[in-house]
Amino acid sequence: MSGTPNPAPLTPSVGIGWRHPHYAALLEQQPALGFIEVHSENFFAPGGAALAVLREGREHYPVSLHGVGLSLGSSVGIDPWHLDQLDRLVQTIDPVRVSDHASFASGNRAHAADLLPVPMSHAALDAMCANVGRVQDHLRRPIAVENLSAYVQWRDAEMEEPDFLNTLAQRTGCQLLVDVNNIYVNALNAQLRGETEDPLDQCRQWIDAIAPAHVAELHLAGHVHCGDIVIDDHGSRVVDAVWALYRRAVQRFGAVPTLIEWDTDVPEVGVLLDEAERARAAARQALAPEALAA
Amino acid sequence: MNPMPSSTLAQQQQALLQALLVRPGTTNADAAETLLLDFLDTRSTQAGRGLATYQANGHALAERSLLAAYPVIAALIGGDHFAPLARDVWHRHPPQCGDLAQWGDALPGFLLGNAQLDDAPYLSDVAQAEWALHRAAGAPDAEPDWPSFARLGQEDPQGLALTLAPGTAVIASPYPVATLITAHVFGTPSLAEAAQRLREGQGENALVWRQGLRPRIAGIAPASAQLVQALLAGADLPQALDAACSITDPLEAFDFSAWLTAAVTDGLVIGVHGLRSPRPTTLEKNSP
Repeated sequence: MSGTPNPAPLTPSVGIGWRHPHYAALLEQQPALGFIEVHSENFFAPGGAALAVLREGREHYPVSLHGVGLSLGSSVGIDPWHLDQLDRLVQTIDPVRVSDHASFASGNRAHAADLLPVPMSHAALDAMCANVGRVQDHLRRPIAVENLSAYVQWRDAEMEEPDFLNTLAQRTGCQLLVDVNNIYVNALNAQLRGETEDPLDQCRQWIDAIAPAHVAELHLAGHVHCGDIVIDDHGSRVVDAVWALYRRAVQRFGAVPTLIEWDTDVPEVGVLLDEAERARAAARQALAPEALAA
Repeated sequence: MNPMPSSTLAQQQQALLQALLVRPGTTNADAAETLLLDFLDTRSTQAGRGLATYQANGHALAERSLLAAYPVIAALIGGDHFAPLARDVWHRHPPQCGDLAQWGDALPGFLLGNAQLDDAPYLSDVAQAEWALHRAAGAPDAEPDWPSFARLGQEDPQGLALTLAPGTAVIASPYPVATLITAHVFGTPSLAEAAQRLREGQGENALVWRQGLRPRIAGIAPASAQLVQALLAGADLPQALDAACSITDPLEAFDFSAWLTAAVTDGLVIGVHGLRSPRPTTLEKNSP
């Protein structure tokens, strides 16, 4: 029969985190990338060299603005100053995506400058929905919200994290940014706490519980084992277990944009580009018809 | 068992923030940690380890952020002392917002009040100049308006003012702050020369501005400092010149033409603009 040939598997748009050590190298080499990602707060200054470099990068690549300081889960709401800075940056850069974390950092008089976990409670969900809604109203666009690595656990969780995130997306219309490494780090720490004997299975259940329609981006990074705790330090290559989970995530969520993050002990840009190529290959493998049929 | 069934989200979050930001090793720190543990799942010993992880991350951020804004202070104090200093500032003056580039403005005052640094009284002024450089680096970009200079020859100077580069500031100090900074950052003059000027008690007016995208600092004459400060305060050109001439040696009249040529060449003055209502100048005379 003269049937239609099998379509080539989709390949996701893969990007890398663009950090200071790679500003010049990326602009000079201009490697093929789906997008570059920067931390929004590093470009809040209304002028100067950093913003000029980002503008130049934007001429060559779509930019994903990834925030670390909005404090979307804070009980005291969103800092209007922070939101104004982000809005200005969004208007300047016209990013392909805007994202931040399902965390809090700010209280009444201070900002801890960290990604602190919120309780998996209805009160925390209400607060985050209100904050995400305010951000999206202000920016006039949806944002993506990322799951995080949590190093302390609140008592008496009222729901599982995937339920929390799914409901957040349903209620606010926000997108979800699934950090595969964070899922694995949390599972490894759960194993250290004696809460699971099979971290990979826990991760698979987590991925399978997320509603695919909400997922807009996947993150991949390295982590470090410190004996009594595992830390998401973004300081090494993606490990095999996370690649396996990434393939499962791609099969469930589709060929969504994927980011290689590397924030500490940043190597030469070629290492990140190699990881990006590995992500493309892993996604192609995961989306091949024989893999999907398995 | 939940010991605090009626705890609110705000209480939970405030407990974690307090445990992270209160100074370690104090009774307040012990109390904050005890309060937090009531909210956390402590069936595993990992809760304490997790809290320590967040604390360590905060300290690393503090050191990295302060180092970015104050590289010369870090060099003058030395790495072994800078890290604990950064941690101390972090806990005494924690960040107020989610942009760490905004954090660190308390350092000059913190150094001034630090009894352990009494033998280095110049550090606070150096820090003040470095913070001005840090702010200048991210100040709004400005487009030079070259045609506007024609107004100087066409209009009554009253009501006209010079447009200064983004981030312009003057730090008047009894210490050679600009020299100390340029010696450490650019090697000019040498560190030995900078130390000599410090020993001799040479004060400086440090001018900070941004030339294009490059933050700059230089020691300037007192009359120039008066002129720039007057302009920063909203004075028009005649008022600014009066301020400059008020401290100039009568035998050495302030050469505005030469000053303006150099200021335009160095990117300090980028245009001329009109003022709706020049402000009266009430600047005190500088005596660094």
